[in-house]
Amino acid sequence: MDEEPERAKRWEGGYERTCCVSSFPGLLWNMFHPQGGVCVFSHGQVRLGMMRHVYVVIDCSRSMEDQDLKPNRLTSTLKLMEVFVDEYFDQNPISQVGIITTKNKRAEKLTDLAGNPKKHITALKKAVDTVCVGEPSLYNSLNLAIQTLKHMPGHTSREILIILSSLTTCDPANIYELIKTLKSLKVRVSVIGLSAEVRVCTVLTRETGGSYHVILDESHFKELLMLHIKPPPASSSSECSLIRMGFPQHTIASVTDQDAKPSFSMSHLDSSSGPGLSLGGYLCPQCHATYTELPVECKVCGLTLVSAPHLARSFHHLFPLQAFVESPVENLQGDRFCQACQAELKDKSMFSCPSCHSVFCVECDLFIHESLHCCPCCIYCQTVP
Amino acid sequence: MKLNIEGLLVYFPYDYIYPEQYSYMLELKRTLDAKGHGVLEMPSGTGKTISLLSLIVAYQRAFPLEVTKLIYCSRTVPEIEKVVEELRKLMEFYTKETGESNNFLALALSSRKNLCIHPEILHANIVVYSYHYLLDPKIADLVSKELAKKSVVVFDEAHNIDNVCIDSMSVNITRRTLDRCQTNVDTLQNTIHKIKETDAAKLREEYRRLVEGLKEANVARETDIYLANPVLPDEILQEAVPGSIRTAEHFVGFMRRFLEYLKSRLRVQHVVQESAPQFLKDIFEKVCIDRKPLRFCAERLQSLLRTLEIADIADFSAVTLISNFATLVSTYSQGFTIIIEPFEDRTPTIANPVLHFSCMDPSIAIKPVFQRFQSVVITSGTLSPLDIYPRILDFRPVTMASFTMTLARTCLCPLIVGRGNDQVALSSKFETREDFAVIRNYGNLLLEMSAIVPDGIVAFFTSYVYMENIVASWYEQGILENIQRNKLIFIETQDAAETSMALEKYQEACENGRGAILLSVARGKVSEGIDFVHHYGRAVIMFGVPYVYTQSRILKARLEYLRDQFQIRENDFLTFDAMRHAAQCVGRAIRGKTDYGLMIFADKRYARADKRGKLPRWIQEHINDGSLNLTVDEAVQLSKHFLRQMAQPFRQEDQLGLSLLTLEQLESEEMLQKITQIAHQT
Repeated sequence: MDEEPERAKRWEGGYERTCCVSSFPGLLWNMFHPQGGVCVFSHGQVRLGMMRHVYVVIDCSRSMEDQDLKPNRLTSTLKLMEVFVDEYFDQNPISQVGIITTKNKRAEKLTDLAGNPKKHITALKKAVDTVCVGEPSLYNSLNLAIQTLKHMPGHTSREILIILSSLTTCDPANIYELIKTLKSLKVRVSVIGLSAEVRVCTVLTRETGGSYHVILDESHFKELLMLHIKPPPASSSSECSLIRMGFPQHTIASVTDQDAKPSFSMSHLDSSSGPGLSLGGYLCPQCHATYTELPVECKVCGLTLVSAPHLARSFHHLFPLQAFVESPVENLQGDRFCQACQAELKDKSMFSCPSCHSVFCVECDLFIHESLHCCPCCIYCQTVP
Repeated sequence: MKLNIEGLLVYFPYDYIYPEQYSYMLELKRTLDAKGHGVLEMPSGTGKTISLLSLIVAYQRAFPLEVTKLIYCSRTVPEIEKVVEELRKLMEFYTKETGESNNFLALALSSRKNLCIHPEILHANIVVYSYHYLLDPKIADLVSKELAKKSVVVFDEAHNIDNVCIDSMSVNITRRTLDRCQTNVDTLQNTIHKIKETDAAKLREEYRRLVEGLKEANVARETDIYLANPVLPDEILQEAVPGSIRTAEHFVGFMRRFLEYLKSRLRVQHVVQESAPQFLKDIFEKVCIDRKPLRFCAERLQSLLRTLEIADIADFSAVTLISNFATLVSTYSQGFTIIIEPFEDRTPTIANPVLHFSCMDPSIAIKPVFQRFQSVVITSGTLSPLDIYPRILDFRPVTMASFTMTLARTCLCPLIVGRGNDQVALSSKFETREDFAVIRNYGNLLLEMSAIVPDGIVAFFTSYVYMENIVASWYEQGILENIQRNKLIFIETQDAAETSMALEKYQEACENGRGAILLSVARGKVSEGIDFVHHYGRAVIMFGVPYVYTQSRILKARLEYLRDQFQIRENDFLTFDAMRHAAQCVGRAIRGKTDYGLMIFADKRYARADKRGKLPRWIQEHINDGSLNLTVDEAVQLSKHFLRQMAQPFRQEDQLGLSLLTLEQLESEEMLQKITQIAHQT
């Protein structure tokens, strides 16, 4: 891993690493293996949810001041959360996120469910100065989250992701009752633990169908967080419904154009920051309100406005690209070149697309599945008759 | 699956098997083949019970003439129930595989209300009951007398078997006992009077029988029908009951005299310790009671009770106790000691005289069992060091083996914390017991652990007094308050009801994520019988080395006896005893291969080879140089890392092939090679 030399510089890191080598040789965690493990193609051909509503609960209790993540758990978590929010909206453009913090036995909303990454990131940046006190309350956080989530329509996913540093929770009532409620509301709760496995989280995630992971170090933390960017498999019981969506036209008017009339972007009306008047923008096809950014829900007529690329990016979750077949290079007759990067296949194994049988190297295979979400050769075959 | 164990077809009711189970069955079969006794140590949670049952049942089916019966002794009722459950599974598997309904009869005796006296039970193939039914002479005579010689006896959880033996042979007499005995004797006398008026013939008949002596019993023993009763020594079987106690009235008079003598002995101001011959000499000088009639006391009383047709023997427990004492004291000149204490050590102002007739030799009680049955197997999770058991129980085993746990991941993490962060040596030894620095560092250890260990922590102290002192001191220093920020604290007390309440609340706090610490005592109820699976015990902290209270006179006498008779040095025995209790305590947290837990030994003395070497092999092999003599901080770092590693997903597939085998995997050449290394012969 790239992080290894950097970590070794810190004396604590080195100390922890030596004991890692000496005391736990038993099992190799395949997490770091490029092929197996959790990071790649954990689902084969599974239909994933396209519209998600995720509440992220961030523990801000006393234990977040622990310095086993640098500079401390809170700062590290918030920094990673910024990356998470960015990535999340990149991969799930028509989904929403909200952030809840919990400390001192209470839970508070940092941001409401919304589809705009900027707002969340600003809030996260501000939260760095939070004083970490008391204990977290799982019950209150979950309760706060379901107050909003339960009103979300059935065709969307309802998810809660908890980042829990503390090993205790201070609850006003029996949490097992709440777990039953969560289950009946089909809310999926996942937990990322920062210190160790806590029983109540195991039960919580198992009952609600979520995942439970505990971090080993910062890079592992990031990996685990990134797992949640990919939408969870859509349950067969979730409703299917048609949603009206608008594809607004982007108009660009130059300043020299006499007819151009500057207008306010509707999304900036409520906030004082950002550009006020602009000449161009996206016009809602229904009511002609102006927006500078997409995706957004029209403030005037309530129509969801997206651009085609947004939809396409979410769309691939519905029809995920099939996993490529791994086979040894020796099987390949003739030239051994990767169809994508045209480099020679030097590794022992190669990957071939099951539909067009083109051959790719490991790097390209990863790139195709992680970023492109479509096989370039298949598309080429379709366009060239 | 069907296993082939050195040519024996064994039906094993699960699809997967642990390698150590296979190894265990191999050793067990060798023991049965040799018709000898065995000592086998295998960690808890690795399926000892089912391995035992599968193999012995298979053996019984294959060689019905060699082994006719399995007698399975366990400690507690829940354990007995577990055995029965496993047995049921095994029988269902047999029916499924062979297609014939088997005619195996198994019988579990758990309490008096489940007791069955139907003669058919004598033919049961498997009997499951408590230790006492075989070891306690009073009960054994009723229940186990007629068990066939060709039986296999298994003592499960037998790490304390020597203490059970000793307890079953020891007698404690207080003033209360004597008073109740007095009432019993009065009742006897009245009954005799009544009977004399109505049915004098009955008493005459008894007299005639007693003249003939105990011929019947003698014949029975010689023809090997009954299990020998250690209270009924061989010599008296040849003789007739002496004339002085032959008639009922004389016997009652004799008992009165004996009782008065005991009463006078209890009127002491200082502690008296004497041997059995000294006691006999004294009783002869004072009240002219001879050794011979004393020896017949127990048998004579039984005869009288039978003659008087007294139904409820429980009422006569006091007089039975006294008569047993009389027989024992006059029979065994060695192995017993008499200690009369005018008051308890803890309350020197309150007069509460007790006569301890203390057995020092556990082999006396278990001797008949070893002699009678062809194979006796002693097994437990913690029997180390193995060679001491044959020595103190005085038998010669044909197999002695310790098995390790094969693990796909290192799920136990023993750490020996020897220093505080300020380099103060941590120890519970007597000299530093009151030391503030040590107590503070112990508190610091618990505080730090409470912050990083999820859910439940169990902490063991060496004694109630020590625990009370430390907790009081922690309270004054404010450590307790800090700990309570992380977890709730529960304390085991000597009150059983209070303790079970604390346990219940403790488990609730572990369940709902609040987290809790249970402070308890080694040798207490919690340390012996309660399992802390998974989240109920993620860490066990052993504060100090749980040496037994060495100032006790009974213990001193026993140590002396061990030294003189078995050449076991006092220190060796004390260390062995302390370490087996420590192992029991820390073993509470690991109850299987999917479980994981920290084992923290907080005393620098554990790092010494003589202590460490006495831990069971399955714990010892995970102690390396990096886990010795740690400071609190180092231990915290290691624990944090361990807990994170253990929290990573762990599925059954990860175990397969390593610590969990299918039949094919088991039969591979390579695996069989590996299995031979699991058993460690001594």
